[in-house]
Amino acid sequence: MKKHLMVGVRRLFKLNRPGRTLLILPDDIFLVSFPKSGNTWTRFLLANLRFPDEPATWTNIDRMVPDPSTTAKRDFDRMPQPRIIKSHECFDPRYPRVIYVVRDPRDVVVSQYHYHRKIRKIGDDSPIETFVARFLAGETCPHGSWGQNVVTWLATMEGSPRFLMLRYEDMVADTARELARAVDFLSLSAGPDQIALAVERSSAARMRKLEEAQTEKSGLTKGSRKDLSFVRSASSGGWRSELPAATVAKIEAAWGPLMRHLRYELSSQSASEARDYESLGILSRTPGS
Amino acid sequence: MLAQFKYAVKCALGLDRAGNRFTVFADDTFLVSYPKSGNTWVRFLLANLLHPGETVGFANINRLLPAPGVSSKRFLRKLPRPRILKSHEPFDVRFRKVIYLIRDPRDVVVSEYHFNLKKRYIDSAVSLEEFVKRFIAGETAGYGSWWEHAASWIAARQGNPAFLLVRYEDLLADPIGRTGKIAEFLGIQATQERLQSAVERSSADRMRKLEKQQADQWTGTKNTRKEIPFVRAAKSGGWKEALPQRSAEEIEAAWAPLLKFLGYELTSRPEEVVAVPAWVRTGQLL
Repeated sequence: MKKHLMVGVRRLFKLNRPGRTLLILPDDIFLVSFPKSGNTWTRFLLANLRFPDEPATWTNIDRMVPDPSTTAKRDFDRMPQPRIIKSHECFDPRYPRVIYVVRDPRDVVVSQYHYHRKIRKIGDDSPIETFVARFLAGETCPHGSWGQNVVTWLATMEGSPRFLMLRYEDMVADTARELARAVDFLSLSAGPDQIALAVERSSAARMRKLEEAQTEKSGLTKGSRKDLSFVRSASSGGWRSELPAATVAKIEAAWGPLMRHLRYELSSQSASEARDYESLGILSRTPGS
Repeated sequence: MLAQFKYAVKCALGLDRAGNRFTVFADDTFLVSYPKSGNTWVRFLLANLLHPGETVGFANINRLLPAPGVSSKRFLRKLPRPRILKSHEPFDVRFRKVIYLIRDPRDVVVSEYHFNLKKRYIDSAVSLEEFVKRFIAGETAGYGSWWEHAASWIAARQGNPAFLLVRYEDLLADPIGRTGKIAEFLGIQATQERLQSAVERSSADRMRKLEKQQADQWTGTKNTRKEIPFVRAAKSGGWKEALPQRSAEEIEAAWAPLLKFLGYELTSRPEEVVAVPAWVRTGQLL
């Protein structure tokens, strides 16, 4: 009863975190990804692009590109439109426009493993094999498995003008080029200089430096282990040296078709299989629909 | 401010409508469908199967097979477990065990058109052709488009033993057999007699009769136009007469891969040119 009353009072003053009750506006833009897929980096990139007068940091990012599960409703109401909102949710038909960041699940699981060490969900002696099994079953976070999260978005929205998919790997390879795609998609008026500045202000080096200075002031890192950083390798392909071959095989067996569709080369892939798959017209929706 | 205060008090007492903000338990089963796909019929079937001693009707269906969209959080919390709940939500990762009921979208849109007239969401100035366009764009029901709804569930769950895909058309063709499959999925031991009784007590005729008596006692029909029935044709393929050819073609052009996968015949394009998307390719129908 007391708990319910607290909830009621928080609602009254709009201090509650809106979560799924967030009132979505027709021009809202959602930055969506499975966790540990480069969401925070992309938040910094978009925040630095959208608000060039206020460089993004770990302390203002929740206000600039807010998260319905951590930012208060009051702050949402005060934001200038169009709002860019962060989310890890599976498909939600209410999102008017979506930038979906996808990352190779073999790298995602390594990143999530280290993140769970950092936030003390698992110990250093916890074997990665066990973690991968839980990861495949969708038990390591409340947003479904990697495959479920990705496929609910692709199956519903791939090819739609309201949907832009960015591969984390392409962003690492040429950040400015991929950010320019986001600028086009959002119809923002940002030239090459502004894009370059946003990329510079969101570099892994700068984010690491800010993280060190602000670690206890940011909801993203507060209270977690200081010997492990939130911004880790910020690269792709790390799984090759970190993941045992048997766990790689399990991930590829579970999500092979989806990974191939996303151009993630399988270590067990044969050329003929790949061709067969392409000819199927995966996830195709009739053009124009 | 007053409205907010009232809402705060309701929250404090657990009387606010749950919507999709209620606590989901691991042992819950959800009866999920896009609106106008036979959900109420299956609610009646299951309520009759589970409560053979009660007279199931519109007046008590929200209690016997609850819908979080119209029930309070407190009511849902106090239900005996395991709960079976009705839902129209697109993919929700919290729903672990799901009966997904699907219906030919060409019939769904005709049904939804009449329902929207009944509810006074539209008037007859909106033509069916116009409504179909809005239906395809996902603007008519508040749960995304039919494609988005079906694709999000099927892509994420097809092949999972806790996911049962049921075609409305199959349920119509063999109600006792399909209800038996659903009972099996729910772990209910149901004899042939019990299944038959549930099917009879949920027949369209009986539901029509109950609707006449109880329309004002149910959230779905209260304050709606009485000359348009909630229980309408209760059949499949009605779109062939009701839907202009052009509208049927628009639906087929938009959603051919899923229609083909679900075994709904395409009238406007040869089936062999339609590629079934890989995420449903391996799936098995009930």
